[in-house]
Amino acid sequence: MEAYVGYFLYLLSLLTVGGIYAIFALGLNVQWGFAGLFNVGIVGFAAVGAYTYALLTTAESTFHLGGFGLPLPLGMFVGMIMSAIVAAFIGLICIRLRADYLAIATIGIAEIIKLVLKNETEITNGPRGVNKIPRFWEHFSEERFYSSWPMSWFGTSENWEAFFDKLPNWYWQPLFAATILLIVYIIYRMLERARTAPWGRMMTAIRENEPAARASGKDVTRRRIEAFVIGAAIMGLAGALFAQHLRLIEPTNTFDPAKVTFLTWVMLILGGSGNNRGAILGAFLIWTIWSASELVITGSIGLISNIFSTLDPSFLQTRAGFLRMMLIGILMQVILQRYPEGILPEVRPASPKADNNDAGLTGETK
Amino acid sequence: MKTMTFATAATLLATTAMADVNIGNPMGMTGPIPDLVAPMAAAVDLAAQNINDQGGMFADGQAFNVVRADSACDPVAAVDAVTKLINVNGVSAIVGPVCSGAAIAQAESVSIPAGVVTLSVSASSPAITTMEDGTDLVFRATASDAYQGVALAELAIAQGMTELAVSYANDDYNAAIAAVFVEAYEGMGGTVTANEAHEPNKASYRSEVATIGASSENLALFSYYGSGGITLMRNALETGAFTNFIGADGMLSDEVIEQIGAENLGTTTFTTAASDSSTPAYAAWQAIADAAEVPASDPFVPNSYDATFMMALAIEHAGSADREAIAASLRAISSAPGEIILPGQWAEAKAILAAGGDINYEGGAGNQDFDENGDVAGNFSKSTVVDGAWAAELIQ
Amino acid sequence: MWEFVNYYFIPGLVLGCIYALGAIGITLTFGILRFSNFAHGEIMMSGAYLTWTVMAAFTALGAYFGFSDWALHPLIAMVPAAALVILIFLATDRFFYKPFRKAETIKVVMASFGMMLIIRSAVQVIWGPNQITFVRGIAKPNATLSEITSNMGLQILMPNKHLFIFAGTIILVVALGYLLNRTRIGKAMRAVSDSPDLAHVTGINVDKVIRATWIVGGICAAAAGVFLVMDTQMLETTMGFRMLLPMFAAAILGGIGKPYGAVAGGLIIGLAEELSAYPWIGDTPLLSPGYKTGVAFAIMVVMLIVRPQGLFKGRSF
Repeated sequence: MEAYVGYFLYLLSLLTVGGIYAIFALGLNVQWGFAGLFNVGIVGFAAVGAYTYALLTTAESTFHLGGFGLPLPLGMFVGMIMSAIVAAFIGLICIRLRADYLAIATIGIAEIIKLVLKNETEITNGPRGVNKIPRFWEHFSEERFYSSWPMSWFGTSENWEAFFDKLPNWYWQPLFAATILLIVYIIYRMLERARTAPWGRMMTAIRENEPAARASGKDVTRRRIEAFVIGAAIMGLAGALFAQHLRLIEPTNTFDPAKVTFLTWVMLILGGSGNNRGAILGAFLIWTIWSASELVITGSIGLISNIFSTLDPSFLQTRAGFLRMMLIGILMQVILQRYPEGILPEVRPASPKADNNDAGLTGETK
Repeated sequence: MKTMTFATAATLLATTAMADVNIGNPMGMTGPIPDLVAPMAAAVDLAAQNINDQGGMFADGQAFNVVRADSACDPVAAVDAVTKLINVNGVSAIVGPVCSGAAIAQAESVSIPAGVVTLSVSASSPAITTMEDGTDLVFRATASDAYQGVALAELAIAQGMTELAVSYANDDYNAAIAAVFVEAYEGMGGTVTANEAHEPNKASYRSEVATIGASSENLALFSYYGSGGITLMRNALETGAFTNFIGADGMLSDEVIEQIGAENLGTTTFTTAASDSSTPAYAAWQAIADAAEVPASDPFVPNSYDATFMMALAIEHAGSADREAIAASLRAISSAPGEIILPGQWAEAKAILAAGGDINYEGGAGNQDFDENGDVAGNFSKSTVVDGAWAAELIQ
Repeated sequence: MWEFVNYYFIPGLVLGCIYALGAIGITLTFGILRFSNFAHGEIMMSGAYLTWTVMAAFTALGAYFGFSDWALHPLIAMVPAAALVILIFLATDRFFYKPFRKAETIKVVMASFGMMLIIRSAVQVIWGPNQITFVRGIAKPNATLSEITSNMGLQILMPNKHLFIFAGTIILVVALGYLLNRTRIGKAMRAVSDSPDLAHVTGINVDKVIRATWIVGGICAAAAGVFLVMDTQMLETTMGFRMLLPMFAAAILGGIGKPYGAVAGGLIIGLAEELSAYPWIGDTPLLSPGYKTGVAFAIMVVMLIVRPQGLFKGRSF
């Protein structure tokens, strides 16, 4: 294969995964950036969305429940709904908790969700996970899709098979990446509307000064649950896309809090919490750094062992992965201290009474 | 932006080696079982070193490079790592992912769509057998759990254990092999008195051990030594809940002797997918491994060497580092007919291939003949502690 | 009956002691600095690694001078290790937490989350990811104790390591009680925990109190780490993180900001985890051991919802 095609495909994979993380970050932005809800259980919602999607859309399997073979968009939609239902349940009982407590409660609930997925082997295939998850666009070239409607209306199985044989085997990659970017854009537009609408301004008011919002007759608890549920639904959708990207999900390592929850938080804080564009920017930036840093480190090790030929590179190799984790941690600390507002700070929606006092208010959030 | 510059620089670094043969080697360097993986990675490097010491690849002696990446036993990391290996580093084939989950995810998500051959060193999940749809791109150098579970069940019956308790770590590898074992053992007339999962990596398993220990003297333990297995065994010995232990290769490590002490392991037998030391292939492997101070009998360490060596043989056989021909060559070099090639015999193999002859690689971990699913049937050995070290003996 | 005590109750208490010591640091940090320190588990783990290093260095020194049998008891090696742990705590506070003293809580929590990654990776880079044997062999029950108790009609089986863990925990908790109730700095700590602003107004040196918090938390964390590895007899790099959530659960159960509550919470969580596998009904475990980890989380979530102020009424200490 031409090297340039390879680079192009890697760029697409950065966009794909970055886009999925951008959706996570947008969901988190609704919860944290808009409503100030400290959710550290992102993996839990991602897992609910991903497993719902996987069980509904895979072909029938002896390993796990179903394989219901439903259409993919329906699977994604139900994944969203399931995640929202779980969030509504959690929200009803936990939303009153103050910030840190909510954080710890959501961590605990996420871990319990993972334990259930791991131990209810009959439904989820336990720690071995669900595989052969259909991926959007690529799934058209699977026989069970092109031999049934609606594709069978447009051509016979043989025609379709010949058609897909003619395409390069990566034909679906640009389409999948584009689909994810489109979803990011749609969610972004919807959230921007919500943010500048009265609903968004009310959220800001509740976050900044809860007693005042309560005193002016706003139903604070209800608004918060709304934000929590909407954010979780978005995360559930991201989880479903995550499952498509990986094509295999299992409860332990796929939904590792350090790599899903923590990375998403870093993305949002770096990009600028409260700012949807910031969330998207942060997601792409951090994922690129995360992914490309491995190339950098592998390359550096190669360079070092070329220069100091007496040095045994195996020591460095076994520890390179940890070094990378450490560098990401340090990077995050630097960002937190140097750019506390993120790259794109929050912009307050213009309200009818907006004036210069706004700037003074942002300083004293607590 | 500085990072981007670095990334570009690294990419250039990676591509300067284009003239050589590159294979990708995603291993779980971080993640839940780094201590199992470190000797496996050492075995991969050892194979590459043997190859390069004995003349390298092809007639012009190109270097055989192993491009290592971190798959962290994690589908997310594995998919990302293999995407980079295939697209940026432009590797010819993948020798790697350690854990079944990571191996399946990277294969279904990246390497099968890209048409790249994967030869997994240790992914033993039965799901891999049924994974592919008509593509001949996934192989593994280790036997499916389906075989080892049965072998262990036969061993238990042969040792006169008519009843036993089962405790397995709730991870993909151990849960799978425990399920196969229980089915086979009950099919042979054994009674499973208790069958409980345990969560890996807990500080204490005393209550688990006590609860299932009330039901039997014998424990079938399925766990990684590095993620709770040693603790569970120690707790079982301390409380005297069990007297006899059997288990699969996740527990077979010198670390177990080091930590628990040989004097406490007199009634312990673990199986592993390896030939016994009487076969010439294993002897050849052991000689190489001992000389390089790689632990020869640790789980999946011989498999890692075999996988790397076979991949190099396949590329040599195919005559170029192009991705397309490797799968067929992998079958050709690993099975009869042909001159038998043992671990480390690169120069001999190269000479035969150059002369247009056939070879049949026999590895330290078994004869490595792939079936139509790309699986190998394993030989299994049972290991017991003799004079403070594991001694393996073939079971049939 | 004695099976229950020896195989469920005592192991539960041992685990509880470890959770309790870790939870003390978490709850003090929360009470005085007002944030949940996610790096606490990693500090515990690094304390254990440092202790092992001191012991190994001592043995190596002995070998150098020709004494092949030099060995340091972990409880002694813990002292210099605890000092280093305190230094790590103070350094992280100075460079990573202090800049956020006046900022939103989330920022410093994020910083501690980052510290968690940094410390763990640093340990993995320095000592490597492989398991390290702390003490070889298996620990048989203390013969004297079982003889004495069996003469009394009891049958208690406890290895020496558990006796050390119990004794160490009791000493530390008593010392903590003395510190908080009888000393000036301890009273200042309580005052800051009750109301930081008021404490500041009355002339208490808040910086000094914060330093004292890290020192107390550091000693307890190092002890918890060492006790954990004394029990499991091996070191590995993810043990800190795995202890973190149960320790949070213990701190919440006891009422966050209350050290004695944390001790009680730790013991309860430890016992609950071990007792969940007891065959209370019939012969099979009450709860599949696969769900064992979930017990602590479930208690924690239920407590947060039902009684977020913790089990115990009243003021902070």
